[in-house]
Amino acid sequence: MPVDLDDSSTVSGDASVSSTGNQNPPPQSAVKKKRNLPGMPDPDSEVIALSPKTLMTTNRFVCEICSKGFQRDQNLQLHRRGHNLPWKLRQRSSKEVRKKVYVCPVSGCVHHDPSRALGDLTGIKKHFCRKHGEKKYKCEKCSKSYAVQSDWKAHSKICGSKEYRCDCGTLFSRRDSFITHRAFCDVLAEESAKNHTQSKKLYPETVSESQQKSPAAVESPPPSPSPPPVAPSVSVSVESETEPEPANIASSLVLPIQDSSDDPENNTLEVIMEEAPGTIGLNGSNDHSNNSKSVYAALFASSSSSSSPSLYAASSTPSPSLFPPSSSMEPISLCLSTTGPSLFGATIQDPPPPHFLTPLHPPPQPAISATALLQKAAQMGSTGSGGSLLRGLGIVSTTSSPMELSSHEAGFGLGLGLPCSSGSGLKELMMGNSSVFDPKQTTLDFLGLGRAVGNGGNNTGGGLSALFGGGGGMDVFGSGELSDKDTGRRSS
Amino acid sequence: MTRTGIISPTQFPSLKSQRCGGGGDASFMEQLLLHCATAIDTNDASLAHQLLWVLNNIAPPDGDSSTQRLTSAFVRALLSRAASKIPALLNIAFQPPADEIHRFSVVELAGFIDLTPWHRFGFIAANEAILTAVEGYSTVHIIDLSLTHCMQIPTLIDAMASRKLNKPPLLKLTVVASASSFPPFINISYEELGSKLVNFATTRNIEMQFTIIPSTYTDGFSSLLQHLRMYPTSYNEALIVNCHMMLRYIPDETLTPSSHSSLSLRNVFLNQLRSLNPTIVTLIEEDADLTSENLVTRLRSAFNYFWIPFDTTDTFMSEQRRLYEAEISWKIENVVAKEGVERVERTETKGRWLERMRDNEFGGVRVSEEAVSELKAMLGEHAVGWGMKKDDDDESLVLTWKGHSVVFATVWVPI
Repeated sequence: MPVDLDDSSTVSGDASVSSTGNQNPPPQSAVKKKRNLPGMPDPDSEVIALSPKTLMTTNRFVCEICSKGFQRDQNLQLHRRGHNLPWKLRQRSSKEVRKKVYVCPVSGCVHHDPSRALGDLTGIKKHFCRKHGEKKYKCEKCSKSYAVQSDWKAHSKICGSKEYRCDCGTLFSRRDSFITHRAFCDVLAEESAKNHTQSKKLYPETVSESQQKSPAAVESPPPSPSPPPVAPSVSVSVESETEPEPANIASSLVLPIQDSSDDPENNTLEVIMEEAPGTIGLNGSNDHSNNSKSVYAALFASSSSSSSPSLYAASSTPSPSLFPPSSSMEPISLCLSTTGPSLFGATIQDPPPPHFLTPLHPPPQPAISATALLQKAAQMGSTGSGGSLLRGLGIVSTTSSPMELSSHEAGFGLGLGLPCSSGSGLKELMMGNSSVFDPKQTTLDFLGLGRAVGNGGNNTGGGLSALFGGGGGMDVFGSGELSDKDTGRRSS
Repeated sequence: MTRTGIISPTQFPSLKSQRCGGGGDASFMEQLLLHCATAIDTNDASLAHQLLWVLNNIAPPDGDSSTQRLTSAFVRALLSRAASKIPALLNIAFQPPADEIHRFSVVELAGFIDLTPWHRFGFIAANEAILTAVEGYSTVHIIDLSLTHCMQIPTLIDAMASRKLNKPPLLKLTVVASASSFPPFINISYEELGSKLVNFATTRNIEMQFTIIPSTYTDGFSSLLQHLRMYPTSYNEALIVNCHMMLRYIPDETLTPSSHSSLSLRNVFLNQLRSLNPTIVTLIEEDADLTSENLVTRLRSAFNYFWIPFDTTDTFMSEQRRLYEAEISWKIENVVAKEGVERVERTETKGRWLERMRDNEFGGVRVSEEAVSELKAMLGEHAVGWGMKKDDDDESLVLTWKGHSVVFATVWVPI
């Protein structure tokens, strides 16, 4: 099968493939035929690089006899039978087929690197389309568009099909996100608080009714006007600054939702107030019998009293002033943000088409000295607008493949005393050539961190001298040139 | 190259045709960072200075590629480290802007943890195991030691409520409260958080109790364990200990070096946990080794791990992404710049955790096939790079991103 091979080599030839970015080796696909995971090619595989045209050819398998093209190898084989070939020629070649991995033809793409090759042709085709192709398939229901038809189909299946809407208006495509949100959403709290408000009058009666509904333990404490600390459960909060160390306090709290019998949905529960095992190291903690009462008080304490925490944090709920606020309590700040949904947008967007942008994990390189690295950086900086400066300063390193730099990288200011013909490249740099110091660049302060130097080159002199001269006594570049010996000492 | 013996460009194949700072530069940036780390630790101010300058040029904090932003986070961390080690470096009154610490509201946090499967993976696996384990018990006591402030619980409550039972069990949830030392930080107290959960449980017909025990990772949660010993489980009560990315904060051998490894607080915790005879213990952690005492080793491990979360959110909207990256940057700074007790992020590999659990007489349990399907379905709803693998050698499930292990989920029973 004729295939354009721009470059074919073993993955392990160019750069040894590190098994993973971190410590674990990939699972060995010994006996089982496992699908190769993306980005993790087998070191012995053959790297195939196809040109974009070849990659997207629909009929890749071509009959050698009549040149008819087929999309699939099986179809080609079926077709070949029809040619009545002699037996020998019918057989496939018996040589072992080496595993093939494919790279993306687009240079600069993360999958262009052999160590990031993908294991199957379809995979690389899809990647190529997704990442570099035109998004021709548009979803009718929403604004998303896709380059790969199967992605588009997969999306259309789910788009709008399952939607969970919280009462607060946020929309979710996944149930678990919806549930998690709902549990903490203020709207739920408000609803429950509203139920309480409605039922407050019924309260004394519902006490007994509730007995029959709910199981086990506990009494519902009658309302009490005593100012109680909602005690251990609340003031124990570690965020409470003035509260002393409640060393071993356990606070148990069950918040009941006293139902009015009208509302079938809510359950009736009692308040369970367990005391801290043994110790209640709280100031203001009254006798224990009051504790349970206090829970109620706190529960219905509203934001109208600044000193009582509104446990439901439903600041909009009008408080049943049935239970006077507990004034002795520590104010607890409630900053329940209601900006929830906005942070993440009104809808949870579907995952975007994959962008395997970042490379990572190139194979462990042989140890490179610091000088070499800096020199390499100099190399990279030798083209572009910064390059002329550097050349002017005589700081040019010859390189066979000049690299392109975007303008802001050009201002590398690579006169770092790297081996160069000019001994004091740094000084020249300090003369303040504004082309090096692009205003966009934020690298002019001391370590190039922080704010961009305000106006173009004006501050450069100052900035640089601060950079290099300010460190009293810090002899940055010694004689201005890093000799071999110096770097030899320092390199690892 | 003007010098012989220096690595030639062909050894960085992708660099040939890429602009500096783009895709294939990760190894180059890594090398710069490693050299810089060495320079800082050996008080080589001038070299550190040069390297930091170069790094900052090629890796701006708002760079286009996630590699640049990742590297920038490391540069800030190195600067922070340098500030303490080589004060001369910061002679010029320049302080790197402190990364703002975001305090999430619970609703925000709920959305945040679902941006990627990073946490949801562990939630689903653990919840499935818990539901299976508690069948037949009338009381379910869950100790939730979770980085995510109980974000796993609502779906558990929902699942419990959805089971067709005559009477759903009583749910007791116990959490620990210690001074928040690591992100994500929330802006309400646990009391309030608990009240919301209880409220929610009530709406789902589940009776629930919420308990907060002041206890801290710094001493291996000793007060929690003490409390549990004082109040052992009653009859027909299941004790579940759900450890979601929290145990890594308990000091390990590298923090309390000792000749006998059983003395590390981490091991002590597991040992004491075992003696409580819990019904099951779920352990979900990140699969990386960030414990090395050698800075260069540690930095390399961190660089080769934290690129993943940066990559997973690379295509997200910038607000979300910035927030997410800020959380990771906090961890990076902690790993790189801090030492001693300040360095709290002591993540260990899956292999190491498995060893610890087995040493402490826990046996691994496989997660059900239903859970696996649910996990796969969930992953299918996220970006294509997410995957999972089941290790046949042990009973773990591992979440992967582009093939690299990210998070592992395991379930344990006392043996």
